Formats: sequence, structure tokens, C-alpha cells
Amino acid sequence: MPETTPIRRRVALVTGASRGIGRAVAERLASDGFHAVLTYRADVQGAEAAVLSILAAGGSAEAARCDAASKEDILALAERLEKERDGVDVLVNNAAVLKNGLFALMPDANWEIVLRTALDGTFHTTKAVLRPMLRRRWGRIVNVSSLAAFSGSAGQTNYAAAKGALVAFTKSLAAEVGQYGVTVNAVAPGFIETDMISFLSKEAREDFLRRISAGRFGTPADIAPFVSFLCTEGASYLTGQTIRIDGGFVG
Amino acid sequence: MDPKDELKTRIKQIIVKQLKLEIDPASIRDDAPLFGDAANGLGLDSIDALELVLGVEKEFGIKVQDEEVGVKAFASVDALHDFIRQKNAA
Repeated sequence: MPETTPIRRRVALVTGASRGIGRAVAERLASDGFHAVLTYRADVQGAEAAVLSILAAGGSAEAARCDAASKEDILALAERLEKERDGVDVLVNNAAVLKNGLFALMPDANWEIVLRTALDGTFHTTKAVLRPMLRRRWGRIVNVSSLAAFSGSAGQTNYAAAKGALVAFTKSLAAEVGQYGVTVNAVAPGFIETDMISFLSKEAREDFLRRISAGRFGTPADIAPFVSFLCTEGASYLTGQTIRIDGGFVG
Repeated sequence: MDPKDELKTRIKQIIVKQLKLEIDPASIRDDAPLFGDAANGLGLDSIDALELVLGVEKEFGIKVQDEEVGVKAFASVDALHDFIRQKNAA
């Protein structure tokens, strides 16, 4: 029988996808037809469970251990994906950690790990997968920023600095790679029911809830459709933007 | 043809094709500076450099490290020739 070349399934790499927004985005992109690569640092069970749910729904996915704070991990994963899958077509930089605390009392380590994971991780991961996108003249990069980038968030100077930097990074990289058919956008979720807001006190939750026009906290399912859209053909003329998805937060 | 010349001819073709230059590939001198020096060379810029890196990676199946770009390896057709030979030998 003659050998046939199978049609290459586009690959979507989603960092920090064992739970929360990352997981919802990965599941959605898989249902859109991408082969989803879900990275995790420690939560192997979460990542495997997400992969199983994708496979059960008829999608294609794999979990990959990769600490976004480790350049070595990132380069190794990118190299493997280039070998096995001919590179990555969609990258969602989602991995982040929280180390909340008052700035005046913030240990250096809490600043560094937050920046290293969310910002340096985005740098290294994007760098590692960008060139095949440029060669193919097609690519989608979505950075997960945060409402914290825009509205002051006491106790989160480190997180806000990293997420704000992603907005600026998004605009400038978009300017560089637009002519290669690669778009770079960001989403800035507001208060989403994930581990990321579990630290809020009951009082703080009630206060924030009064300022959310939609009258409720968001869920990861409120974010995934926007990321999905940004990765379509139809979104090819939208780049450099940060879309705030915060239920109409007033503040 | 001398295989050395053949590789250089290929490199010149890649430069012209990848950068959409409207010149005869053969008119590029082997030792002419590719970047910056518009008076004596091609006067390419950093966008051209990226295109050239993408083209060389694709055409020769090699990986160009960041620190190799814009310095010696991409200085001229001669330099690019030696760089590709060395990469392929490795």
C-alpha cells in the first residue's frame, strides 16, 4: 500500500493547564480540533484528568511536565514537540503562581518566583516555539494577563507587575510578527472562581461582587471561548490587543 | 561545479528568494557585507536577518542560535557558507 502523508493536526500548547483557566482553555482548543499539550508543574493528577476528559470527548491531547519557571524544562519540551509534532501553532501562556503579601514586607523570593513563572516563563516559552510559526507564516499566541494589570490590587504588586508586563509584551511582539501571519493577543480575566481567588476574605468577595456588573464571579468557561476565538482564522486581523473579561468590573 | 561554489550559489539564491530582492543572485559578491553597509554590500536590516535565518534553517535543516545571528555567521556569503558547512559537519 502506498504511504500517505497524514494531515498534520495543529498543536496548541497551553501552560499551567492542570486546572482553572488553563485547563478550560486546553479542553476548548482540543474540541476546536487542535492537539492540546497541557503543561503542569506539580499537579500531574489534574493534568492527566484533563487529558482523559479530552480523549473521552474524541479530542487529541497529552500532558507534559514543565515548570514555567525553568528554562531547561521549556526548551526540552519545545524541542520534543518540534521533533514529534513539527512545532507548535498555538501558544497560550497561562502558567502563573501567586505569592500575595504587602510589598513593604515582601521577601525577595516572592517577587522573583512570581515574575519568573508568569513573565520569564512567557519569554522562554514564546521564544522556544516562535520560529516554526514564523516559518509556517501562521501562529497564534495568547497571553493570559489579569485584571490586576489594570486595577490596583493591594497585596499583589508582584503578580500585577508580571501581568502588566504581559500587556506591554503582547503589543510589542505583535508589532514584530504581524507580517508573518502570527497574532499576539492577551486576555485579562477578572475575578474567576479558581484557586487564584481562594485567598479572598468573605468581606472582600462581597465588596468585589458589588462592583461586578454581571453580578457574579466568573468561571474558566467564561474565558475559554475568547481564547478559542483568538486562535481562529477569523481573528487574523486582531493583534496586539488585551481583552478584559471581567463581567464589567467597575473600579 | 566545485561543490563549494554550488553551496554559495544556493546561499545567494536563498538570500534573493527569502528577501524578495530584485537582483541577480550571481551579482552578490562572496565577501560583500550583507548587513548595515549599504555602500559596499546589501545593506540588510534586522527584519531581513530574521527572514534569512528562517530561510537557512528551513533550507538546510539546521538550528541557528540567537548569538550566532548578526555576528560572524551571517556577515557575508563566505561566512554563511563556512557556518552551514560547519553545522552540517557537526
